[in-house]
Amino acid sequence: MTPPAALPLEEPTVAERAITLPRPALTPEDAARSRDRFRVHNARKHNRRWYLIWLLVGPGILAMLGENDGPSMISYATTGATYGLGFFLPFILVTFAMAIVCQEMAMRVGAVTHRGFGQLVLERFGRMWGWFAAGDLIVTNLVTLVAEFVAIRVGLSFFHLGAGVAALLGVVLVVFTLSGGRYWRWERIVLGMAIFNGLFLLAAILTKPHWGSVGHSLLTASPFPGGSFNTLLLLVASTIGATVTPWMIFFQQSASADKGLTPSDLRHGRYDTVAGGILAALFGCGALIAGAALFGHGGAGFAPTRGLAGAGFPGALKLVSGNAVATLFALGLIEAGAVAILTISASTGYAVGECLGVAHSFNNSAGKARLFYGANIGAAAIAAAIILIPGAPLLSIALNANVLATVLLPVALVFLIMLANDRELMGKWANRTATNTAALAIVAFISICGAAYGIDSFLQTVHII
Amino acid sequence: MTEAERQELVMFLERDQLVVDTSQPVQRLRFSPTMKIALWALRVFVLVVSAMVIYTFVSQLGH
Repeated sequence: MTPPAALPLEEPTVAERAITLPRPALTPEDAARSRDRFRVHNARKHNRRWYLIWLLVGPGILAMLGENDGPSMISYATTGATYGLGFFLPFILVTFAMAIVCQEMAMRVGAVTHRGFGQLVLERFGRMWGWFAAGDLIVTNLVTLVAEFVAIRVGLSFFHLGAGVAALLGVVLVVFTLSGGRYWRWERIVLGMAIFNGLFLLAAILTKPHWGSVGHSLLTASPFPGGSFNTLLLLVASTIGATVTPWMIFFQQSASADKGLTPSDLRHGRYDTVAGGILAALFGCGALIAGAALFGHGGAGFAPTRGLAGAGFPGALKLVSGNAVATLFALGLIEAGAVAILTISASTGYAVGECLGVAHSFNNSAGKARLFYGANIGAAAIAAAIILIPGAPLLSIALNANVLATVLLPVALVFLIMLANDRELMGKWANRTATNTAALAIVAFISICGAAYGIDSFLQTVHII
Repeated sequence: MTEAERQELVMFLERDQLVVDTSQPVQRLRFSPTMKIALWALRVFVLVVSAMVIYTFVSQLGH
């Protein structure tokens, strides 16, 4: 490795740093991160813009495409099958715009403080609030992970493969990506898999939708869905839960710190987040448009859709749009579930490691970060075991996972806003007024939607309304 | 790893990015009474709505 010959003017020279800095202890984690930073430094020095983007993208795209997960895609497809094109198509775009605002804050806090969300909440606000946040995360992550295995099972069942294969595939993937002891390796493998989220867009194109209707829906947000108010609330809450969730905040902040992002990378971190948001919105709209092919055929109530406890979209699409669309949708569900298992398990590992104050980086070997790796694999293994239980209410879990995430999200969001406004931590990179206005509006909107569904459903269940 | 290699590697990291630095906890923030009340209100609100969602979910399983 050759030290840099010339550094940007505002930074001290190598010699100055070597002289002025005392020599700190350098762990293997530091060494691995430093090698990644060396490449970033060289790309900047030689003005290799595209290479620099390639090096710095990752956490944003993974958070966004990771959230285009199995239950989210089933939720979008259910919405399309139930209501057709209309209000929900532009609503997906709105929710991803909300996600970009939240995830940019998470990336910025991670890059500036070099600490994960769980660690900062615990240290800055106290152990109780830290463990509350981690507790929320672990509960929603376990439920969501079960839903991811359900999605893989739904996709595999189209190819006549059973729950055992789904469980094994998920756990083996987690173990495989964890081997290597490098954040960079883990990130690139998962990014390579996440690109296949585009299969939903391909499936949508092959259903030959009426593009004029798609454009009309996007421009006018109409027709507004009718029917049951509670079903509408459920789909609004689950659509929000399909785009902004607690695990995304934990993941992107921790991954940004683990990747080694610094304040000088904020611009590229924003590119990464916005690119992730745009891709995820496109692919999410693809799932809705593909599901809308069933709209004229009885929608989500269409008999084949109810296969495998109600989530047999690939089978239903095969009858309506052909085998190619069904195959793409099934493969898309497998990919969506698999990528989400990896990112959600990672966020669980980060949260556990940060809150217990032990090593929590992919740049550590398994021996150095036993709890981090153990939580990663353990979370996936527990969820895998649940889908093997005969008669487990898998579809109900899948649909309610997003709703639960929506309900628990406001607490994590409020902490994130507080951290992003903390000038002692963030200095000149603290939130500006416009970001705060948008973020607080998002918290209010999500709280109202989650509460509206929760209260309305509860009152109906206890027969008060 | 030699001392020279170690020094080269350190140069590419920010000082507060090293594990030895991030392992030091940041200073605890003291909440004002108003902030404490607001946070507890939010926490209770979220738990109550979560309980409603879970109750509904469990009830639907029975049907």
